[in-house]
Amino acid sequence: MTTDKDQLIIGWLYPNLMSTYGDRGNTICLRQRAQWRGYNVTVMPLDQQTSAADIHKVDIIVGGGAQDRQQEIVMRDLSGAKAQALREKIEAGTPGVFTCGSPQLLGHYYEPAIGQRIEGLGLLDFVSKHPGIDARRCIGNVVFEVTASRLGQDLSKMLGTAPLVIGFENHGGRTYLGKVEALGRVIKGFGNNGEDGTEGAFYKNAIATYSHGPLLPKNPFIADWLIQTALAEKYQTPISLSPLDDALATQARVAMFKRLGIVT
Amino acid sequence: MTLTRLDRLRLGLAVATSKTVTSLIRLLGLGAGSVFPGEIAGRIQPRVLPLLTRQVKYGVIIIAGTNGKTTTSLLLRTMLERQGWRVAHNATGANLINGLMTALLENTSLTGKLNADYAILEVDENILPLLLQQIKPRSILCLNLFRDQLDRYGEVDIISQRWLKAIAPLAPETVVIANADDPTLSHLGQKLSQQVLYFGLSEPEQYLDEMPHAVDSIYCPSCGHALEYQGFYLSHLGDFHCPSCGFKKGQLAIDSREWPQILIGIYNKYNTLAAVLAAQEVGIAQETILDTIKNFQAAFGRAEELKVAGKQVRILLSKNPVGMNETIRAVNQIKATGKASTTLIVLNDRTPDGTDVSWIWDVDTEKLVALGGNLIVSGDRVYDMALRLKYSQTNLSEPGLKLIVKEDLREAIATALELTSPDETLHIVPTYSAMLEVRGLLTGRKIL
Ligand SMILES: [Zn+2]
Repeated sequence: MTTDKDQLIIGWLYPNLMSTYGDRGNTICLRQRAQWRGYNVTVMPLDQQTSAADIHKVDIIVGGGAQDRQQEIVMRDLSGAKAQALREKIEAGTPGVFTCGSPQLLGHYYEPAIGQRIEGLGLLDFVSKHPGIDARRCIGNVVFEVTASRLGQDLSKMLGTAPLVIGFENHGGRTYLGKVEALGRVIKGFGNNGEDGTEGAFYKNAIATYSHGPLLPKNPFIADWLIQTALAEKYQTPISLSPLDDALATQARVAMFKRLGIVT
Repeated sequence: MTLTRLDRLRLGLAVATSKTVTSLIRLLGLGAGSVFPGEIAGRIQPRVLPLLTRQVKYGVIIIAGTNGKTTTSLLLRTMLERQGWRVAHNATGANLINGLMTALLENTSLTGKLNADYAILEVDENILPLLLQQIKPRSILCLNLFRDQLDRYGEVDIISQRWLKAIAPLAPETVVIANADDPTLSHLGQKLSQQVLYFGLSEPEQYLDEMPHAVDSIYCPSCGHALEYQGFYLSHLGDFHCPSCGFKKGQLAIDSREWPQILIGIYNKYNTLAAVLAAQEVGIAQETILDTIKNFQAAFGRAEELKVAGKQVRILLSKNPVGMNETIRAVNQIKATGKASTTLIVLNDRTPDGTDVSWIWDVDTEKLVALGGNLIVSGDRVYDMALRLKYSQTNLSEPGLKLIVKEDLREAIATALELTSPDETLHIVPTYSAMLEVRGLLTGRKIL
């Protein structure tokens, strides 16, 4: 029998506009890992049809990447009360994972290759710029260590080792952090801008990253951290999740570490 | 077209060198030599491509798009040959500039004379603009634009803008044959001043039940408003219009109901219609076209059927979400009749495959898993594929489903054949480089 305590609502930002490079894998991963453990999961699209009140209902927020044109449409829609609701959720500690295009809209602004600067929510202190249509994209397998203090500690405790994340980055835009904490330190790949060795950002319980792959299936400990944090926030009580068989994810990780010559 | 003596000399030298290289590659058993000779010729005579294509008697037909190039080219080529014409064609799927040159050089004499009535060039969607700076085609077939190998080149929007910029300045008599069901290409056609012939489907009974996830373009390419669809045929291809600015799909020049199709799947319906329009444009007789469709044999790896160790095998190249979703639709139809139970998926991440395998999460593998049976996975990224299939299961272990992971491709194929009974077909679903490997192992021949 399911009770109220078994409910988890995943809010998925603009699935039809912001889901390139397999980013829906993050939603699938969260949904399945919670369902397999007996939770009752609802995936709620947060799009043009959504109200600010809907946004307040979700326990976890997932956002993917987008083409520049689609990103503009999103930013036009995500304004006013809806923008405010998203802001309040993240400030209140609702966990979220935002990949590629969606972090750009959480920052101050994004300057695309063609067209006008797109203003962001200004929630996370960073800016993103595309250096021009002919500039090289940052593409390839990426490995980084989660260094954001609280998250890094939580993950190290869960894993018993340094939290190494594997992904695939593919972005034209470059992100430059202000005062916000970086998510991690790049071991292999470009990260935020290919210059300062930082990757992503971490603010309250929101994870911003350039890492596709998608991120969560290959790094299931982050998925579990998100689920655990969401449930603990929701029910105001510590939650411990039952373990799942992650042998395939481990094998996929080992194969990529080996290929990239990374000793773990 | 007359060439200067110096041009002819250099062209001859380029041809001679490349031919020697081709025979050497073949002699040494290094493969079919489909790319390398062109590169050498290109270095000796940088104008090889324009000099060669200008000698093609009736013109060059370019075939571009994300999916279906090889099958459409082969079909069109067969139609032209049945009409008695000599066709130069980069038939090996080598669709970058060097591959095109190699194909043309094969039909060129040592004195630099090209002997062909038509040339059919399959062109990588990102190379098209570069190619159009060098050659003037008779017609261009724009098949579709899907998210594919984005890690190499960027995004669909950017590609279509580059196509428009490259095609717009071509001669007014250039014929553009475009897929009207693809909003991006309908829009491209409507922006061009050349003659545009549209193909597409007019068969609402073929609509998908729901909008597929792996959709790239559902916003109006003209004004950015959400497009309204009466129905989807495949990915973002369908019957659409823009409620805001009135943009709608191009006026079809062909009725899809009047034509049979080649092979299986909606994909090949589109490929057939594109080839028919191109064939009609060069004046091929109706009976010849129909006859070719009826007797068509698949290009390698594209729904190609082989008999291996007494078992029936069908290879379905699937290199992006749209392609793999279509493959799953076709395989499931056959599974439902009881004539198939085993599927082998081989996922590689080499340059011709695209080095990013994230796209497998845009594929509706849930539909494949739901029908049960034996699912074997292999390839460079075998564990990524296995993980995708694991997450496609509603329960931690799905009853009736057997998921088998084999790093070694040889073992994977052997297992798959073993699990296939004599009255069934084994379906192999590989990415591009995986398809070449699979074929090599199944036929004992390698392709470079
Ligand atoms: Zn419009």
